[in-house]
Amino acid sequence: MIVRYVRLLWIFLRTEMQYELEYRTNLALDIVQSLVIMGTSVGAVLVLFSYTTVLNGWDLGAMLVLLGCFYLVQGFSEFVLAPSFEKFMEHVRMGTLDFALLKPASPQFLVTLRQFRVTELTQFVLGAVIVVVALSRMSGVGVYQGVGFAVALLCGFTLVYALLLALSTFAFWFVRVDNLMAIYWSFLDAGRFPVDIYPGWLRLTLSTAVPIGIAVTVPAQAISGRLDPFGLGLLVIGTVAAFVVASWFWRLGLRSYTGASA
Amino acid sequence: MIRTYRALLIAQIQAASQYRVQSILWMLFSVMRPVIFLAAWVAVANAQGGQIGAYDTRDFAGYYVALALVTNLAFSWNAYDFEFEIRMGRLSPKLLRPLHPIHYAVVDNLVWKATTMIPLLLILAVVIVTFDARFRTTPAHILLFVPSVLLAGALTFLGGWFLATTAFWTTRVHAVSTLWDRAVFIFAGQIAPLALLPGVLKTISLALPFGYMLGVPTEILRGGVDVPTALVLIGGQAFWVVVFYIAFLRLWRVGVRQYSAVGA
Repeated sequence: MIVRYVRLLWIFLRTEMQYELEYRTNLALDIVQSLVIMGTSVGAVLVLFSYTTVLNGWDLGAMLVLLGCFYLVQGFSEFVLAPSFEKFMEHVRMGTLDFALLKPASPQFLVTLRQFRVTELTQFVLGAVIVVVALSRMSGVGVYQGVGFAVALLCGFTLVYALLLALSTFAFWFVRVDNLMAIYWSFLDAGRFPVDIYPGWLRLTLSTAVPIGIAVTVPAQAISGRLDPFGLGLLVIGTVAAFVVASWFWRLGLRSYTGASA
Repeated sequence: MIRTYRALLIAQIQAASQYRVQSILWMLFSVMRPVIFLAAWVAVANAQGGQIGAYDTRDFAGYYVALALVTNLAFSWNAYDFEFEIRMGRLSPKLLRPLHPIHYAVVDNLVWKATTMIPLLLILAVVIVTFDARFRTTPAHILLFVPSVLLAGALTFLGGWFLATTAFWTTRVHAVSTLWDRAVFIFAGQIAPLALLPGVLKTISLALPFGYMLGVPTEILRGGVDVPTALVLIGGQAFWVVVFYIAFLRLWRVGVRQYSAVGA
């Protein structure tokens, strides 16, 4: 069962890759753009750290790890989630969701992990590079921290997935929900700094309703050894809950879907 | 011309009133980045005993509140639309009308700014209270702020259109506008007040147009510079507006002559 889904995923990804490689100049330009965006973001952090060595308990190394995590999460959501959910909303609008529903696989899988924007992989890869480079400046990163990081990052991805799934489900009732998605995109920028520097109302928003703060900050905490097993456990439970609720909400919405002119 | 503008304004307001929620949500984009960097600078200042250069935490709050307001007032995003219009061939009918396409963009921006102003001020009021912002503004600063923010608006608008016009040749300006955006990010006063940019970055921000787009009107509104300095900075803004105005006109004239609709 899982093997079948992984194979499907691979097929989707491969066709998308072939398509994208037809536009090579575009691809090269996108890579250059990502490099510029990363470079300037690192530059902004360096400007802040030219005035201090510690920012709310985060030193430069930890801060760069966090920035890397920010681009891992953002890269992931722009690589697969954003294109898939945009397509999903278009399907609802055009009444073409039927085609996905009739196929012999989980509709949620077929709809939410179907489209890929291969060029966004550069963001993801560069985010990983920043994490690795920053880690080389830090000491005391062991297996335990590594595992914690991997688990926390996976939770981060899932939290963002659940949020976007829940937001886009509203399309079943309201059809045009690009605006709701803009909530996610406007708050996303806040992920570039640790969530603990923000004032109460913003921290709360970034930890619950729009959990980008959690998705980025907790993996960075995990790898710099500042996350206890209790915090990690809490994150896993919260993530599973978010995923289950969002999926339930999606199925609820799906029930009120009617094809075009039905 | 005034009558034309009145007609355009009314049409645009009617169009905008259909998208009320949208305009409020998009306003979040003007607010989020200033608030984020405000929080970061407050954390830096607290780590250093509450003071960085001439700024304490309350000054940072004043600066970034002013920045959010200036961003909303002075910034325009039409460059992205323009590329799209060229690629989709939607520019062609506009070119046939007796009005330069840039006027539609002007009206578009004016209406957007007017409709987002009230929700923006409400959010900024929350930020002012949360961070206990301090303003050193005097009446003279407010007087100077008016021309300064107008010039900043003209500068970002013309700069954006100058970039967009290159789409006549490339049909894709996305890569160029990303470069431009990131230069604004670093040099315009978003990541730090211009006075706090380290060494060479500060020089670049005032030697190139970027610092005059956001940082200069922001400091004037906050009351962070004295009147003679403000006048010099406004002079710099005027200089760059003229440069971009001439450059844009030249480029447009050449570009529109060799424009042919995509697919033609």
